[in-house]
Amino acid sequence: MKKQKKLIMLSNLLLDSLKKLNRSRLKQIQTLMEDFNDKCLEASKDKHLFDTAVEKSWLIGAESIRSRIERNLNDFSHHLQRFKELINTDETVMPNFIDIHAELVQTEQEFGELQFDLKEKTISVTTGDIVLNDISFGPFGIKLSICQLEKLYTDIPYRIIALEPNPAGGNDSVTHPHVSDERLCEGDGHVAIRNAIEQGRFCDFFTLIKSILQTYNPDSPYVSLDDWQGRSCYDCGYTISDDESYYCERCDREYCGQCSTYCRVCDTTVCLGCSSECYGCKEPICKDCMHVCKECEEAFCENCINEKGLCENCEAERNKNEDECSEKTDAQV
Amino acid sequence: MRILYVNNDGSGFADYVSITEGTTVEQFFTIKMEGREPSDYLIRVNRQPVPKDYVLQDGDRVTITPTKIEGASPVLA
Repeated sequence: MKKQKKLIMLSNLLLDSLKKLNRSRLKQIQTLMEDFNDKCLEASKDKHLFDTAVEKSWLIGAESIRSRIERNLNDFSHHLQRFKELINTDETVMPNFIDIHAELVQTEQEFGELQFDLKEKTISVTTGDIVLNDISFGPFGIKLSICQLEKLYTDIPYRIIALEPNPAGGNDSVTHPHVSDERLCEGDGHVAIRNAIEQGRFCDFFTLIKSILQTYNPDSPYVSLDDWQGRSCYDCGYTISDDESYYCERCDREYCGQCSTYCRVCDTTVCLGCSSECYGCKEPICKDCMHVCKECEEAFCENCINEKGLCENCEAERNKNEDECSEKTDAQV
Repeated sequence: MRILYVNNDGSGFADYVSITEGTTVEQFFTIKMEGREPSDYLIRVNRQPVPKDYVLQDGDRVTITPTKIEGASPVLA
């Protein structure tokens, strides 16, 4: 009885939200129609200007108008396409209470119990374990926000929540090759999902999402399955396996081979940010092994600086100056 | 006779279609989804799973949903 009451309440909420969504769709059509109308008016104005320019042989002016028409035509076809997408609807009527109720009953048959959060006004289902190419991602919750339904054309009204997350090594927010920050990139399912929501086919909606989750598209993942177990280089973000990873002992972070090196003096592995290049021999050195020349203040390794704290050039310069000084003193004597 | 056909493949659509009397759900699938494997789809009649030799009735609601759909990651402009 309690369950039945819950389904009735949910059906009413969803129906109400679908009415708002329909109104939002009609408003969007209205806006697009206004844009479309403006474009038509612009084209009509340009036609008159173009006719006048050609008749009066204002060739440069005519060419400039032609160029504007060309640009506007591109915009025009874009607007027309969007307009067509929104105005085309299937031969179905708005679902009624009985349809929505039947959808919810079917969803429970397909997915098990429907979870309803009255405070957040969300409904969720749980998928089984998702396994792609032998990598398990655990089950996912598909949480649909009833209040967000009317924003279908500007936002995604649902979240994909990893219930036993196995995120990509390099990026904790990627919990599935096609899910990042709880948002699914719908790919080929985009239009079918939008249609299912618009027509109140909620069971189809959840089924379509599940179908995307259980499919891997190697051409366009957030993180590919080949790189899933790896970690990401702190500097360039490249995914690296355990064997390719280098740990910088100075900043305590992991780097790829391209973004790390080792100190030629103490052999410690360091990242490029924690190392410097010796001004003398041009070899990388860590900050602990770096010495600054007292004269020129450049960084040198211990092999390129003497016990007086001078580099080879500054030492030579000092010797030269000292020699000149002693020569002058000798001459004066 | 007419049935409501909900096709969630590709862009997806829902529409009333005419079929001849005695058409089974298997025959309907073969006509509408030529070259596809039924095992790659979730097929429901009036929201319920049915055997492949189920004979479609006037007013039935047939839903065909692929079990594999390729997602993507957004293409940055």
